[in-house]
This record gives sequence, C-alpha cells and structure tokens, in this order.
Amino acid sequence: MLKLNRWDKLLIIFILISSIALYATMEAFVRATTSEKTVAIVTYRDQEVMRIDMSKDASYVVDGTLGEVTIEVKDREIRVEKETSPYHYCSIQGWVKYANIPIVCLPNHIVILIQNTEDAPNGEDSVIQ
Amino acid sequence: MRKLSPTRRLTLITMLLAMSILLHMIEPSLPIAIPGVKLGLANILGLVALYLFGVKEMLILNFMRVIIASLLRGIIFGTGFWLSLAGVTLSSIVAIILYKKSPFSITGISVGSSAFHGLGQILALMFINQTVMMIYWLPLLWFSAVPTGLITGTLCVQVLKRIRK
Repeated sequence: MLKLNRWDKLLIIFILISSIALYATMEAFVRATTSEKTVAIVTYRDQEVMRIDMSKDASYVVDGTLGEVTIEVKDREIRVEKETSPYHYCSIQGWVKYANIPIVCLPNHIVILIQNTEDAPNGEDSVIQ
Repeated sequence: MRKLSPTRRLTLITMLLAMSILLHMIEPSLPIAIPGVKLGLANILGLVALYLFGVKEMLILNFMRVIIASLLRGIIFGTGFWLSLAGVTLSSIVAIILYKKSPFSITGISVGSSAFHGLGQILALMFINQTVMMIYWLPLLWFSAVPTGLITGTLCVQVLKRIRK
C-alpha cells in the first residue's frame, strides 16, 4: 500500500529531525528569554489595543472582527478563554507563559504576545485597558 | 495514459478543479486534533494534474482553486486567502522541483510539498503580523507534514492508478 523509496525515507527523516531540532531550539530560546516580570501585548489589526500585566490574575475583553475576545490571565499564564470564530483555534491553543509565543486569532485579527517588561517602552507597571 | 482529445482534456482538468475546490472548502470542517493542521486533501488533485498533464496544468489548478474557493467563501484578499496563496505557491514550487529533478516517488513529493505548504503559511503570517516569532509554529506544521503528506500521497497514487486504467 505505502510505497516509499530510499529518497522518500531520507526526506521524511530529514523533516522529522529538523522539526524536532527547531522545536527544541525555539523552546530553549523562549524559556531563556522570558524574565520574571512580563506583559502581554494585545494587538488588533496590527494596532496595540491593550497591555496586560501578567502578575495580576484577571479577565479582559477586547473587540475582534467577529465579536468579543475574552482573555484570561492566571498564575502568570495567559489564554484566550472565549471568542467567536469558526474553529476556535486560539482558545484551543490554551495557556501560554513564555515570552514571544504568539496567540493568533486570525478571524478576529487579534494577536497576543507576551513580552518582558524590560522591552516595554512605558515601564513595567503600565497597564492600559 | 493515452492521448486525450482537447475537449476530453479540458473536461478532465475542469473536473479536477471542481473536486479540488470542493475539498478545499469542506476540509476546514473535518475534525483534526491539532489546531491549524489540515490534511491537504485538495493537494491530491494538484499532484494528479502534475502527473497526468504537467507543470502548467498543476499551477493553473492550484492557483484557480485558491482564488475560486476564496471567492466562494467570501475571504478573497483576506488573511486566510494570503495564507493559502503563500502555502500553495511554495508547495507547488517544491513539488515541481522534486518532480523534475529528483528520484522521489509521488508520496515523497507529497510529503515535501506538504512541509513547504506549512513554511509558506508561516512566512505569510510572519509578514502579515510583522513578527518573526510566528516561526514558533513551524516545527508543528513541519512535523505534521509527514503523516498528512503520506496520507495524501498514498491517496494520490490510488487515484492515478484508477484514472489511468
């Protein structure tokens, strides 16, 4: 049924090894570059609409293209709790705690990205809602 | 396959295009456990066109499929359209290179083109969202390209076997 020649097998091995190596590198990078104090930047159509302090447990609501997007912060982790979209990919993604791992809600044009507060231009305690 | 008359050839290409549009449109509703990962069933028809007719026909079929399916779904020139276009562009280029210049089988070509479809989508996302960190999702798409490519490649072999009879 499944006929693979030597070259096919080499290609498959190359893809599997490179994906595992890339994943390990990315994971090590995001762990190493996440500081103790972080903020989550929420953008709508490339415009920043909210800056969330990750040290405070709370729920926030932003307006996306298809409706409201509910964002929850708990124990320095963030997730999209509820949104209106065809397949709910961004709420299925679940909790994110490391800097630079994007939560992308494409149908709503919402992107959430955790950043270290040292990078934040408005200082570490700024929260805009 | 024996030589086809221009009318039969046009009819067959049109039928492949119609089937690929249908698969493109129903595929997002198929339940797959990993968010963002799709089987790429429409790619089967692209590969069938490549092996039955050639490079030009595959490119026409793939690009027409993305444009018409996006028009029908009302997402033309939206983010989803650009992701599909970037994915299909890169996967078609890789499929053509592997088809012309390598000893890979259809299944191998399917796996390669699936992997580069994911890369094309990530590059488009990086450009649209202006953040290089979208590459974080590449290993997931790259890894899942192996089982999805094997499934679509195997199906493509079976489809070609039956069409050529």
